[in-house]
Amino acid sequence: MSRAIQIRVSESVVRTVHVEDGVQSQLEMLPILARERQAELLATELERQGFVRDGKTARRKDPDGLEITVELETATVTVRLAADAELAESIERRANVGVERQSDAEAALRDDVMRDLDERLTQRTEALRREVTQRLERKLGDLRKELDEAVGRATVAALTEKAASLGHIESVVTDEAGNVAIKVKL
Amino acid sequence: MTTELDAEELDVDDLEEIPQVAASEHDLIMMARTLVMGPAAQDDIWTLLCAARPCAPQIGPTCAALLEDTLRHAWRALWMRGGARPAASISISAAAPPAPPAAPGAPAWASASSRTVTITRGRLWERHAPAPLPFTSASLVFLRWLVATPFAAPASTLTQLAAMPLSIGDQLLVYLALDAARTTPAVRVLAAQPFVRAAPLAWLGHAHALARRGAAPPSFGPLTEGVGAIVVEALAGELARRWYAVELGKRAMFEPEPLLDLGAAQDQTLTGFMTACEAAARRDLAAFVLDAAAPLLLRNVMPAPLQLDPNTTLAVRAQARLAAGSLVRAVVRWGEWDGLHRGVRYFDDDYPAAQLLLERFETIGPTGLGRARHWLTELASLVPSPTASDTVTAP
Repeated sequence: MSRAIQIRVSESVVRTVHVEDGVQSQLEMLPILARERQAELLATELERQGFVRDGKTARRKDPDGLEITVELETATVTVRLAADAELAESIERRANVGVERQSDAEAALRDDVMRDLDERLTQRTEALRREVTQRLERKLGDLRKELDEAVGRATVAALTEKAASLGHIESVVTDEAGNVAIKVKL
Repeated sequence: MTTELDAEELDVDDLEEIPQVAASEHDLIMMARTLVMGPAAQDDIWTLLCAARPCAPQIGPTCAALLEDTLRHAWRALWMRGGARPAASISISAAAPPAPPAAPGAPAWASASSRTVTITRGRLWERHAPAPLPFTSASLVFLRWLVATPFAAPASTLTQLAAMPLSIGDQLLVYLALDAARTTPAVRVLAAQPFVRAAPLAWLGHAHALARRGAAPPSFGPLTEGVGAIVVEALAGELARRWYAVELGKRAMFEPEPLLDLGAAQDQTLTGFMTACEAAARRDLAAFVLDAAAPLLLRNVMPAPLQLDPNTTLAVRAQARLAAGSLVRAVVRWGEWDGLHRGVRYFDDDYPAAQLLLERFETIGPTGLGRARHWLTELASLVPSPTASDTVTAP
């Protein structure tokens, strides 16, 4: 008759995880002037909103970690939000087995524990990723408005330059809705 | 009295002997008949597909004759599927002296001017001279596989059907099989076969069924000339209805991954087919794109999912929304063609064709094109608006 013993397995894991999410979209820039000049005008407007120009791109990193990159010539905007976290998990598990099965049972128990640890960390990583996605979603509404305004101002600047190249600008009138009327004397 | 007369007139020599075939040959003929006869004969298609029966390596002359007779009805099947409706086709015949090549940078459209372009109107058989619809031994291989495969069994246990060179008749049979099986689980098994995936006509009609990550359709060239083009013309109405239905289905999709696969398959199919049409100066063959998109554009029903799984990443969701716009991108390409057609002058060789294509694009028009462009912008937007339509009001 075999003697029953209790085995105890304890494992802990600390894992550093990096999660990120992002989207890419096109800003609606009307082709009014040459692409390079339009890029300049867009860069000027973006710099007013805290973007830093780096060659053909403009970048901004917000305090909350939101990274916005605008490819000036193609008017492509990429928004990215990332998060790093150190996840720690530990599991302790006991089982009663016959003494003759001690080593096999301990190995099997340890495998179970490791698998559960992995699963828990995967779940926590996924939860973190979802949180990042939700934060990003909340930010996009305001960002879109901000970028649309910058594009709008760059478009007006481009129109004004185009009008100036056609003749003498007599007046530029902007109404409350944001519509701009440019009167040119040819 | 009449009965007596009939009895007298029936001579023993007039009675035709009922052809006798083996049981597996009977199944082969039944399968071919069911596919060719169309939806009216396909009420019990699932039972037929599940009744697996081993086929002999060869068929007898009686079976061969009956199969030939069945496949001879394929043209009729095409008429029944819409080919009998009056329509217009662009006919191109080679002019005797070759014209100088188009100027560098000129559109492919310009290079077609070396041919004589005419417009033919009427029913399919009035527009085209009778032409044989070629079937090869691949059709027999396909029918044998359909009969021998137990479609109800797990897919992993089924024998795969290797790809083969396919004539347009073989491709039509594949198309008809996919159509017959579309409401059954067999459509997945069929769509996974390399034989089926090698048929461009199958992609054109069933891109949604063949959608798979990393898959690429074959060349669509054979469908834009000769008998292939006539088959596409005959199926144009059906293609438009099917693509329209798939676009509507996108609005109910929730998982982004299948939408990504579907969009990629549709994009590859439409881009490949429209490029082939352009090269063959047969843009009229791609008019089913307009017929499929027109009701959506008219009612402002954007072919985009109402909501994608919020637990997936924004990146995947954004890609899926972009992928959903495959048909809309094809409409925008048609819009670019329309601009070229407007530039064709009345003394140009292509003027009649351009006029026909301008007429076809009127179903979309500048308003529809503007809406299509707006949809593409909306699909690529950082923050998508809710996909409302003119016919459905938000609660």
